[in-house]
Amino acid sequence: MISAGTSAVQLEDTIVSVASAPGRGAVALVRLSGPNAFSIAAKHLRLPPPEPRVSQLCDVFDGEQKLDQALVTLFPSPGSFTGDNTVEFSTHGGYLVPSTIVAALISSGARQATPGEFTRRAVLNGKLDILQAEAIGDLIDASSHIMQLTALRQLDGGLSRRLLSLRNDLIGLEALIAYDVDFPEEDDGPVPRSRIDQAAEGIASSLEALLSTVPAGEVIREGAIVVIVGPPNAGKSSLFNALLGRSRAIVTEMPGTTRDALEAVIDSGKWPLRLVDTAGLRETEDRIERLGMEVSERYMRSAQIVLACAEDSRSLEEIVSLVSSSSTAPILAVLTKSDLVSKRDESLLSRTVIPVSAETGTGLRELLCAIDEALDTRHGEIIPDLPILTRARHRNAISTASSELKQFTEAWREEKLPATVAAVHLRTAVYSLEELIGAVEVEDVLDRVFSSFCVGK
Amino acid sequence: MSQLPGFETEFDVVVIGAGHAGTEAAVAAARLGARVGLITSALETIGQMSCNPAIGGVAKGTVVREVDALGGIMGRATDLAMIQFRMLNRSKGPAVWSPRAQCDRGLYRRAVRSLLEQHTQLQTVQGTVARLLLTPDERRVLGVETIEGRCFGAKSVVITTGTFLRGRIHIGTETRIPGGRAGETATTHLAEQLEQAGLTVARFKTGTPPRIDGRSVDYSALEIQESEIEQFDYSWSHFWGAKRRQGSSIRHPAQMPCWITYLEAEGKKIIKDNIAKSAMYGGAISSRGPRYCPSVEDKIVKFPDAERHQIFLEPEGHDTTELYVNGLSTSLPVAVQLEILRSVRGLTNVRMNRAGYAIEYDYYPPTQLDPSLQVKVIPGLYFAGQINGTTGYEEAAGQGLVAGLNAALSIQRKQPIVLGRETSYIGVLVDDLVTRGVDEPYRLFTSRSEFRLTVRQDNALRRLGHIGIRLGIYSELEDSAIKARLEHEDAALRLAETSSIRPDQAAQILSGAGSAPLSHAVRIVEVARRQEIALDGLLRAVGLGADLDSEALVTVDLEIKYAGYFERERAQAERMRRMGDFSLDPDLEYGDMRSLSLEARQKLSNLKPHSLAQASRIPGVSPSDLQNLVIEIERRRRLAVTH
Repeated sequence: MISAGTSAVQLEDTIVSVASAPGRGAVALVRLSGPNAFSIAAKHLRLPPPEPRVSQLCDVFDGEQKLDQALVTLFPSPGSFTGDNTVEFSTHGGYLVPSTIVAALISSGARQATPGEFTRRAVLNGKLDILQAEAIGDLIDASSHIMQLTALRQLDGGLSRRLLSLRNDLIGLEALIAYDVDFPEEDDGPVPRSRIDQAAEGIASSLEALLSTVPAGEVIREGAIVVIVGPPNAGKSSLFNALLGRSRAIVTEMPGTTRDALEAVIDSGKWPLRLVDTAGLRETEDRIERLGMEVSERYMRSAQIVLACAEDSRSLEEIVSLVSSSSTAPILAVLTKSDLVSKRDESLLSRTVIPVSAETGTGLRELLCAIDEALDTRHGEIIPDLPILTRARHRNAISTASSELKQFTEAWREEKLPATVAAVHLRTAVYSLEELIGAVEVEDVLDRVFSSFCVGK
Repeated sequence: MSQLPGFETEFDVVVIGAGHAGTEAAVAAARLGARVGLITSALETIGQMSCNPAIGGVAKGTVVREVDALGGIMGRATDLAMIQFRMLNRSKGPAVWSPRAQCDRGLYRRAVRSLLEQHTQLQTVQGTVARLLLTPDERRVLGVETIEGRCFGAKSVVITTGTFLRGRIHIGTETRIPGGRAGETATTHLAEQLEQAGLTVARFKTGTPPRIDGRSVDYSALEIQESEIEQFDYSWSHFWGAKRRQGSSIRHPAQMPCWITYLEAEGKKIIKDNIAKSAMYGGAISSRGPRYCPSVEDKIVKFPDAERHQIFLEPEGHDTTELYVNGLSTSLPVAVQLEILRSVRGLTNVRMNRAGYAIEYDYYPPTQLDPSLQVKVIPGLYFAGQINGTTGYEEAAGQGLVAGLNAALSIQRKQPIVLGRETSYIGVLVDDLVTRGVDEPYRLFTSRSEFRLTVRQDNALRRLGHIGIRLGIYSELEDSAIKARLEHEDAALRLAETSSIRPDQAAQILSGAGSAPLSHAVRIVEVARRQEIALDGLLRAVGLGADLDSEALVTVDLEIKYAGYFERERAQAERMRRMGDFSLDPDLEYGDMRSLSLEARQKLSNLKPHSLAQASRIPGVSPSDLQNLVIEIERRRRLAVTH
């Protein structure tokens, strides 16, 4: 905590970077921030600089050479994102223009920002706490509506407030233990054991509630893995494509972990989904067995939902039973090519099936709803006011707190240790929450948090 | 410098007031070789216990042992005057044992006076200090002048005037008497001068209960509480001569019991009916009193549902039958006090010797002091005790010790002693005072300390002895006594770790405690880790450790049993020490540190903390403020290097 690391003490520099994504685009944003931001910017503007917080169209020069016409806004300290004087140039897009402007500003004394440095300054200038800074990273990386909401909530300080209140509850519990020692001869006698039990239980269940959001948080960050399995020609690829086509936004489409599967993230319903199409699996003689083997190895273990597909009820039964032997994930039985299925066929099935037609699009909505429901059942509904833990750092700190509290409760209930000795566990729990908020061993936390940011944020 | 005429004596350190703070300050300074003048209004009341006749209690008992470890007199005087002893919290494990002793008031006073007189460097003076003699710029003390016109030179002055600065006694709403203690006059001149010097002053109140004639008490109606004296001495000074080791404790006076009775419905009604006549509830006093030492009026108003309130009748000493009515602190009119007393079982025909009263007095918010207890704006002037807004004899003694040591060290141009929070309750006390200030009379609790497992009553010598040795405050005899005690601890640990115990040797102890028998011989330390098994019994069972101090064995036993937990606290202490090593320049300008919250900037500017650790404890300075402060300082430091 004492040794301010090298990265943290370069606040005297004025830093610059392209803040928008690189590539072709109509506009790009160049952000310049630091004590000399205004004077450095002024060297490249012919007009007197604009009023603070008013955007003005300006020509940007490098010496005699005009670089661009840009919309320039000045944010005086502390009313800026970083808390330092900041100038933002909305330039024309593309690779060249913003880069030449950055180069010009660097030649006038600015320094290229390192990854995450703008956000880091915002934290160091007291504009954000660490959890909020993480939320900014999440917001930028958000690939789904729900991740965006979760990050916004965290940016608003929801998680910080929650943790602070739990920390105060723990300190309160410790105070009850101390009271017993401090006032041994009072009229009221000792604090009733039940009061301490209740306080400990209350905190324990709050910590548990937070921890129980970890799987949901993981799904929110990573997307729920939804694996489509079925015999060849069962219409898996058609279903995959139909689901992609239906979704509001295709965020990424990337090759799967092996060449044998396709993976795509879709944000169609409530939860972001990582749809995995095993359509490319090699088909052997003994193909069903082969399928079961490959898919279980690769995806079944991590699957959150399995979509078992088949064209008719007999093979659907077969595939469902095969899948249930190798995965604990909920299985949704999907009758593809529903337009071809007869009513009689449907009634033969022993479980609820979702008839879908990739061709006409019927049943896709129902399927997505069924997926959301299955995820709700698995991870719990997303409650608007309950913060969700989206990072391993959060999970580690809170499970430490939770396990320390458990050790306290155990020692306390069974009177294994004097209460004041057991209370050391409570203190450790407090420290671990404080560390999460940013109070302890700060430099350590900063480095961990900021190493995951990219330039310009 | 001293052009002022007629210093009767040139002292190094003058201590004003000879209560629990003043006497410790005087002794501490004398131990450091200073010539000390201890000035008090009445030599007969040196070491007077103004309120209850008890020394020690939770956290306080530990302070007594800390004061003793650093050469103070409170523990020694208590050992000589102890007429009832209890170890509070005995059922909650030795880590929180809290010794408390009832004392014979007269014996205590006389013990204190004679202990003072053992220091040839120390002169007691009867007189009331009228004013401090300061340099013309009022930024340095030169000495003091008494109302009798006696002038004494001093390089440092310690003020420990308790409740005497503009003290005012209240009994009911009608009776107001200026006074520092019942029957003794208050001091106003000095108060005026301090205020003129620019010190902020505030008022607190406290109270004391009536005292009764023991011959008028029906003891048959009371519960008796006997002394549980075993071999307890507060002071380690008796360790020498090997008396303790052979089991012969210092001879305490004969023990006397306390008596327990209750304030019940009838008494509660009397108080309720007369509440408007109370000085505290009738509007005569508006200043704050301690919540945790409430008047009986407070108890009735704030806890109307409590069925009854406990009252302890505590003996005042062997030379009198007078009893102190603990639990009945009040400022009601005398007639009502008597009525209440007579409603109490066992006191139907009681005679009241002295009435209870409330007292209002000046204190100086202690954030005006630096961590050596020196007044920031007047170097050489130190405050200790109730003048800093504390309550309690032990709290006063701890501060007196620190102020006395520092008053003498500053003359020798040596670094002041600042005890860390992790070293002692005294460290917690002083740090809380100068960092957080007080909003009610300050009393120590274990909950104020982050280190209540490692800072215990049994290990004060281990924690502080090395400091005393470094300061050179011990006599040769004391020096070797301290070393001997610590060697006993080392030896006990060595025995536990290296000797083993056979199943047959341990059988009786283990079965007696309901603990599982051993299957084969193991090292003693393994068995001592069990909660229910004490180390000394194990050692005795194998015929070892008979020559070791029993208290040293308790210390080692705790260290074995709770090693993992103690380790956690010590790791935290280490972290705090590192923060303490990050010192902050008192001239640091916080006003323009934009990254800090406005509140933090104001608080830091006002208090000028001396280290990051201290800054971290200022209310209103958040963890992120602290983090930004480190960066700001590091940035400035680097700038200074490059420019």
